[in-house]
Amino acid sequence: MQLLRPESVEAAAAALGNGSVALAGGTDLVPMLRDRLVSAETLVELKEVVPRGVEGTRIGAGTTLAELEVDPEIPAALREACALAASPQLRSMGTIGGNLLQATRCWYWRLDFPCFLHGGSRCHAREGAHREHAIFGNERCASAHPSDPAAALLALGARVRTSRRELGLEELYRLPTEDDRNVTALEPGELILELDVPRPEASVYLKAMDRARWAFPLVGVAAARFADGVRLALAGVAPIPWRLDSETDLDRATPLPGTAYKVELARPLIRRALHSVT
Amino acid sequence: MSTTARRLELGRVGETTRRVDAIPKVTGEFAYASDLFAAGMLWGHTVRSPHAHARIVEIDISQALAMAGVHGVLTHTDVPGAKTYGLEFADQPVLAIDRVRYFGEPVALVAAEHPEQARRAAERIQVEYEPLEPVVDPERATEQEPLHEENPTAGHGFRDDQRPNVLRSIAIRHGDPDAEGEVSVSGVYELGMQDQAFLGPESGLAVPDGEGGVDIYVATQWLHVDRDQVAPCLGLEKEQVRIHLSGVGGAFGGREDLSMQVHGALLALHTSRPVKMVYSREESFVGHVHRHPAKIWMEHRATKAGRLVNVRAQILLDGGAYASSSAAVTSNAACFAVGPYSVDNALIECTCVYSNNPPCGAMRGFGAVQSCFAHEAQMDKLATALGIDPVELRLLNALAPGDTLPTGQKVSGSFPAAEVIRRAAELPVPEAEELPRDPIRLPGGAGNTTHGQGVKRGVGFAVGFKNVCYSEGFDDACAARVRLWKGADDELVGEVHCAGAEVGQGVTNVILQVARTELGTENVALAPGSTADVESSGSASASRLTWMAAGAVRLACRDALAEFEAGRSAVDVQRTYHHPRTAPLDPETGQVKGDRVHVAYMCAAMRVVVEVDVELGLTRVVWIGTAQDVGKALNPQAVHGQIEGGTAQGLGLALMEEIQTRDGLITNASFTDYLIPTTLDMPPVEAELIEEEEPDAPYGVKGVGEPPTVVSTAAVVSALRDATGSELARVPVRPDELAGL
Ligand SMILES: Cc1cc2nc3c(=O)[nH]c(=O)nc-3n(C[C@H](O)[C@H](O)[C@H](O)COP(=O)(O)OP(=O)(O)OC[C@H]3O[C@@H](n4cnc5c(N)ncnc54)[C@H](O)[C@@H]3O)c2cc1C
Ligand code: SF4
Repeated sequence: MQLLRPESVEAAAAALGNGSVALAGGTDLVPMLRDRLVSAETLVELKEVVPRGVEGTRIGAGTTLAELEVDPEIPAALREACALAASPQLRSMGTIGGNLLQATRCWYWRLDFPCFLHGGSRCHAREGAHREHAIFGNERCASAHPSDPAAALLALGARVRTSRRELGLEELYRLPTEDDRNVTALEPGELILELDVPRPEASVYLKAMDRARWAFPLVGVAAARFADGVRLALAGVAPIPWRLDSETDLDRATPLPGTAYKVELARPLIRRALHSVT
Repeated sequence: MSTTARRLELGRVGETTRRVDAIPKVTGEFAYASDLFAAGMLWGHTVRSPHAHARIVEIDISQALAMAGVHGVLTHTDVPGAKTYGLEFADQPVLAIDRVRYFGEPVALVAAEHPEQARRAAERIQVEYEPLEPVVDPERATEQEPLHEENPTAGHGFRDDQRPNVLRSIAIRHGDPDAEGEVSVSGVYELGMQDQAFLGPESGLAVPDGEGGVDIYVATQWLHVDRDQVAPCLGLEKEQVRIHLSGVGGAFGGREDLSMQVHGALLALHTSRPVKMVYSREESFVGHVHRHPAKIWMEHRATKAGRLVNVRAQILLDGGAYASSSAAVTSNAACFAVGPYSVDNALIECTCVYSNNPPCGAMRGFGAVQSCFAHEAQMDKLATALGIDPVELRLLNALAPGDTLPTGQKVSGSFPAAEVIRRAAELPVPEAEELPRDPIRLPGGAGNTTHGQGVKRGVGFAVGFKNVCYSEGFDDACAARVRLWKGADDELVGEVHCAGAEVGQGVTNVILQVARTELGTENVALAPGSTADVESSGSASASRLTWMAAGAVRLACRDALAEFEAGRSAVDVQRTYHHPRTAPLDPETGQVKGDRVHVAYMCAAMRVVVEVDVELGLTRVVWIGTAQDVGKALNPQAVHGQIEGGTAQGLGLALMEEIQTRDGLITNASFTDYLIPTTLDMPPVEAELIEEEEPDAPYGVKGVGEPPTVVSTAAVVSALRDATGSELARVPVRPDELAGL
């Protein structure tokens, strides 16, 4: 295995694909390499090419979660979501770009079961244990998106600038389909460079988890109030970060037997999030 | 420095002494087994089964052997001696022979220059498996194909139970098992599989001695029982295998069984090089046994006034693929099924089955945890049914010296159950903290999920008990050796040898405190534990080591001092201490065949305050108060430490810890997915030590490590029930059980 340290976005993009993988903080990627879930001949380090730091409403994709959680310029929902993700050690390595692209925590997937998301035909979680799994968009793959910051950014209406285009955060994510099992719309070799995060009048992130701290979200609710209304987004409820217009949207949830509680949990959590931004 | 000042500093029996390993551990200087190093050492790696149940058709090691840096690849054919081993029954292959029975079972070994080379070579070992239907449902195991053709545990004085896959079954019949009461309550309770979750993964270093023997430095709980299992597998005499205690990063029962000992030694002898093995975190989850998951049916019959008339229980334990110490856990679960209550009639049946689930064995609380969760839920239910205060009900039925246990053993010695209950109940429960407060002090913690909305408070209570030391006729004696000589200024100098494993429980301090007390000098050192220079101490388990090591060290010190005072200038004395003898249970009736089946008992009572956000299902344990029967606290601060740690482990089982399996495969083998409580999940613990000396024990001690774990799971869930009104018959109780109540 070799490590490349390109100095321009073009060089990095050119080096990607064909058995090479982009490396930011490595907190998600390295364990996956070790577990042989990702195989790579070459790691392409992004440190020199992906911007890091906050400028006005723009956040470099290479900014660490630890930097974001203390930055007073950052909207509260994102700051809180970053502060609640992972552990201090991981946050000082992990970048916001990497966080948005982290792989599912579904343990069938992590144990390399030949499931739908791995290209197979069934979802093992639907048939087996799945209390951490999804209540929306879970027909084919029932995984629950693990990122707290992604939900916050989605509620905030963040836009993403990549090495090729600019798109809304909701366009970055897609539900996996028969033909394409990816959960993001990034093309091979496409890099996330920057996020543009509108300033809300108020925002908040609430996270229900299995212990007082240092756990993935069972359900995370981000709410952001803008002049034209409140935007809501949830972590831990669908294979991708999930937007809801209101609490009543929960009536359209399609929970599995073991995830029905997430609907019950999300209801009051949404109410409380709305209460705190309005 | 005056002598008194030094005394205070180092401490005698009964004084708080600072743990000798405390500062090195927090500063990172303590050498754990994973820090071991020897010049020229190789790294060993274990190839493990990816299947829970499969036949091995063929193993091809040729590619791995040819790889750079690889010095040896071994399979079962390379095991020179006994092919199987085990703590109580030698039913577990050193390396799988023609069949694997659990996910992660060792199949082959590699030694290479670098750990990564060893791992890569391991990937090139081709094992052809023919998957077999796994036995994963303990309730069906007794109707499925036997996993061990010849039941390894049959005979051995156990009940003759011909059903397939019965590891041990026991029935305790006491009085008239059909006796009726005026009121009856029943329930079915379940506990998930808990992991010891020690921070130091299994590790050790095996060093060939150049004469055919081997020295093994390892994190373990019982050096001599390791040696007695390792030597036959290596085809060596016991003396040729020397086990030395290395730095142990927690044990909790999970290091009673062998892990890398035989494997490392095989590789070292094969390559004539020192071989180090360190398990990864994921590997550690399959590298040791777990707490038995249990399903327990119980019925309590009582008079209207609240006196227990009859307790009936059926307990099913999943032992997993190999026997480990399951037979003893089975007996414990049965013996403590009623709790520390007096009842004239009982019928307790407990069955432990073999399955293709991860092997289970010893874990802090050893069978009593499971039973306590059930009997305390029942006592609360009974209190509600009778309209009696739950503490009153427990006091009314509290077992006392002179009473008879369901096994027929008469309670003798110290048994302050009623006192423990009273003292725990008297601890003042703190007032609910005013709102608003920092969310970290509300259910949901850092997640900031409530400012008080949905929060209900609950108070719970539980009582439990357990035996100290080994039981059923087993003589788990402990040896200590004391050398005395005259040092500078003619001062007495002592050196103590005791193989008792320091696993973080503080036995080193206890040994030194006893030696200082008995020898009347500060100049005492404890030599490193090794099978090479002292006899067995027995295991660091069953809450026994303080009692047994104190007994042995005191005996050896007194005899050594007598010799020394008689004029010998250098003394070297070894003595073995035995606890009072126990007797087995009758296999048909579960009645003790002698005086006592257990040496002595320890009780604990615990009161817990929780807050539950009943809308979200998130919880916070606010406060824990406990009273524990400790006999005599030799090192009070360490006793408090054991109570806090043991309580945290029980709280973990109550609220979050469970090994998840699918078709026998562990799906959450990491600390990302297997959650244990952090400091934020643990409340302050207020502990009252009840010191009623045990007449048969040195200084009146008992054990302290297990009772807090036995009782805390039950107590936490009792409080959750109070807050929510839900039955909560299964642990762990996680948000999905509580959300939307
Ligand atoms: C134990 C543990 C607990 C965690 N808990 C939480 C939690 O509670 N909540 C939460 O939100 N997260 C959690 N995480 C996830 C953690 O926040 C992420 O691992 C981290 O943010 C990833 O960032 P990284 O820079 O290390 O990414 P890497 O590991 O370097 O990369 C991750 C992926 O993104 C790709 N990538 C990275 N940067 C770019 C880019 N700029 N353009 C294109 N592709 C890119 C990589 O190729 C790789 O596929 C946890 C992680 C661990 C290990
Ligand atoms: S939830 Fe998705 S990742 Fe998990 S098993 Fe199903 S398809 Fe695979």
